[in-house]
Amino acid sequence: MDMISIVFGRLSQAFLLLIAMSLIGFIGIHSVGNPVFNVVNIETATPEDIQAATIALGLDQPIWRQYLVFISNVVSGNFGTSYIYHQPAFTLVMSKLPATLELAFIAMLIAAPLGTGLGLLAGRRVGSLFDRTLLNGSVSALSIPSFWLAMMLILVGAILTGWFPSGGRGATERVLGEDWSWMTANGLWHLVLPALALAIPNIALIARLSRSGTIEVESQDFTRFCRAKGLSSRRILMRHTLPNISVPIVTIIGLQFGGMLAFAVVVESIFSWPGVGKLLIDSIQLLDRPVVMATLTFIAVAFVGLNALVDLFYAVLDPRVRLSS
Amino acid sequence: MKLGRPFRPCLLSAFLVSVSLGASLISTPAVAQEPGDLRIATSYKLMTLDPHYANLNENTSLLSHIYERLVYQDEGLELKPGLAISWRALSPTQWEFKLRDGVRFHGGAVFDAEDVVYSIERIRDFLKPPSGGFRSSVSGIKAVSATDPLTVVIETSGAAPTLPLTFSSIFMMNKPAEGFETTEALNSGAAPVGTGPYKFESWSSGESLRLVRNDGYWGGKPAWLTVGFRVIENPAARVAALSTGEVDVADAIPARDVDGLKQRGAWIASVGAARINFVQFDVDRDTLPGVTDKSGEPIANPFKDPQVRRALALATDRGILADKILAGYGTAASQVFPTGLPGTSAKLLPEAPDYEAAKALLARAGYPDGFNLVLAGPAGRYPGDAESLQAIAQSWARIGVNAQPSTAPFSVFNTKRAAGDYAVWYGGTSGEAVDIILRALLASPNKERGTGALNFGKYQNVAFDEMLAKAESIAVGPERDAALASATELVMADQPIIPLYHFHHIVGYGPRIGSYVMHPRGWTTAMQTIAATE
Repeated sequence: MDMISIVFGRLSQAFLLLIAMSLIGFIGIHSVGNPVFNVVNIETATPEDIQAATIALGLDQPIWRQYLVFISNVVSGNFGTSYIYHQPAFTLVMSKLPATLELAFIAMLIAAPLGTGLGLLAGRRVGSLFDRTLLNGSVSALSIPSFWLAMMLILVGAILTGWFPSGGRGATERVLGEDWSWMTANGLWHLVLPALALAIPNIALIARLSRSGTIEVESQDFTRFCRAKGLSSRRILMRHTLPNISVPIVTIIGLQFGGMLAFAVVVESIFSWPGVGKLLIDSIQLLDRPVVMATLTFIAVAFVGLNALVDLFYAVLDPRVRLSS
Repeated sequence: MKLGRPFRPCLLSAFLVSVSLGASLISTPAVAQEPGDLRIATSYKLMTLDPHYANLNENTSLLSHIYERLVYQDEGLELKPGLAISWRALSPTQWEFKLRDGVRFHGGAVFDAEDVVYSIERIRDFLKPPSGGFRSSVSGIKAVSATDPLTVVIETSGAAPTLPLTFSSIFMMNKPAEGFETTEALNSGAAPVGTGPYKFESWSSGESLRLVRNDGYWGGKPAWLTVGFRVIENPAARVAALSTGEVDVADAIPARDVDGLKQRGAWIASVGAARINFVQFDVDRDTLPGVTDKSGEPIANPFKDPQVRRALALATDRGILADKILAGYGTAASQVFPTGLPGTSAKLLPEAPDYEAAKALLARAGYPDGFNLVLAGPAGRYPGDAESLQAIAQSWARIGVNAQPSTAPFSVFNTKRAAGDYAVWYGGTSGEAVDIILRALLASPNKERGTGALNFGKYQNVAFDEMLAKAESIAVGPERDAALASATELVMADQPIIPLYHFHHIVGYGPRIGSYVMHPRGWTTAMQTIAATE
């Protein structure tokens, strides 16, 4: 019974969030500018062309009516047609999803183990040279702007050494009706630099979390008891330290993964990686309202879903969560 | 650094992840190229596969591989036979086009007069706004008839001496068995069928377009087996892709990257664009937003006085814009097209700034202390747009006019300009010919005659309108060009706009390309490349 009410509460929260998001997004993109100037060729269009296009897109209606039309369409599963690409908006977003998913996934695959491992190492040796290096390095890794990092990776990895391609997805393999880069060697090769650009700040973030968690856990009594019992340090690490520091790490992995799905905008743009983030920023620039709204909705749903997954994971990781529910 | 034993598994797993990413690939070179495959990085988004959807370089540049036009505009903007081998005016309102014999669509169908009729009717009667960006081009066409399979007669409601030019932008589609093809059907990837040198293979909107050679092309066998376009909007990313040899051609290269590319062994081609960037004044309203005297009090619209416009033009240093901001890849402008193209005047030359004369003119117009204004413009739409505003503001300050530059993204800029938020702004326009730009930018706004669509400053000059109308009625040729040049001289003396520069289209190409023929219209196509001989 409890579980049902929790789930129901969660769902109603998510619903309210989506409504708020759609309102803010809709009004926001509406107040930026008039999309009609991107739909017609402004350098050759006559005022009649502009007028006709405005009416055809329904932009002559008051904003509240446009919003109601949008909502009633969404309820029937229709996000409208892109002003720019003349394809169903949601289909367009979904067609860009595989690229973003695989990029975020590979980036996390690099960042999570590496960050956790480095953090554990540093946490075990507080104050050592390695620890200080990691701390300083992580501060720099978190503070460099992602566009600069991406540019540097291209400069070093592509232009100076010629090891990796500078952008694009490379060869793709069609699986489940979608194109994937990681299925081909050439595609994986194209994935390396953009995935690193996304992974590096996350390595730093995860390493810092896992370091502070390790320090905290290692100083607690039960660790000393374990040592006194004569457990090997490997066993202590795997059975006690790692599970105890994993809750904040899993949280941050979930949040950052969601962030990468939605906001890998800079990295995707610079590596011309045709994903959802790039689509969002392109669509905002072109005021392609149906696509912006479809993307934002997808992102909101993805975040809500990921948060729910993270909560579930807590229950798996932390017996206290299981017991309380 | 000594690692404790417990950490080996962790480190190992991290190491394995990174190695497994690389290990299988060491043997794969980062840059693979097939012989006969041309790879182009373009800034032009391909938004639709419907050739009649919008008259935008973004679409026409890429679709011109698949579809063809009756008439082709060459690098000197002269008309050359395309799918039509000849055309002649039967009367002021009738044109006859003779079609090329033996042309086949990619699907095997023979190209004939019915396809021309279908293409025109599809634009004029079938496509509804916002599609049908070519509607204004064919709105004057009263009737189209196929007198025989290779002859089309087009009847217009008024005199149309430039009708052949119109057909240099309209792509010919194959008439289907019945009805008209919708934009949605074309975009769904049902392969678009044209007569062009390359056949459609696949596309992904805003990402890529793949083409294969059309062996049955009427113009002989095209140079490349396959052509792959990659849409890369970020200029730095285009430059990087060319530097590493991942692509053979990259268009819209920023001028600042030219030297670096040359050092890396790339070649550069450039040409002055058939377009103009300018400063436009609102000469219509009595008071203007942001235009005040030195104490911040609003003043009457100063731009109604030609002396003020002239003074500001004299205080504009075009040399700095062309040489410094565009790094030499721009030509200082004095009229709407680069001097030398058909319809331009040889007498109009860019002036060097003369601040003393400008100051004197301002004083004579009644502004000895100058005034304040907000100079608006788009950012990131044209090469050098935002930087130009800064430079112009600095020049104008020397004659006491305090200009505050204000930039916005292009769509926002357009919205605000349409709402009347601007008094004076930076603009840009392009077109197929000089008269089209004169008509849109400087002729008095008039709905019936369809003039002044881009004359947002509401400039009106009856003498110029008459001269332009007269020039427009002359058949295409030297006489018409001379009349257009005189009309331009007359109107520029009144300074309705300050022409700034014609930026250059810059294309970079790699060792697999022998040479690249630039086109002032700014297209990027495989047909402009000549493969390097092995």
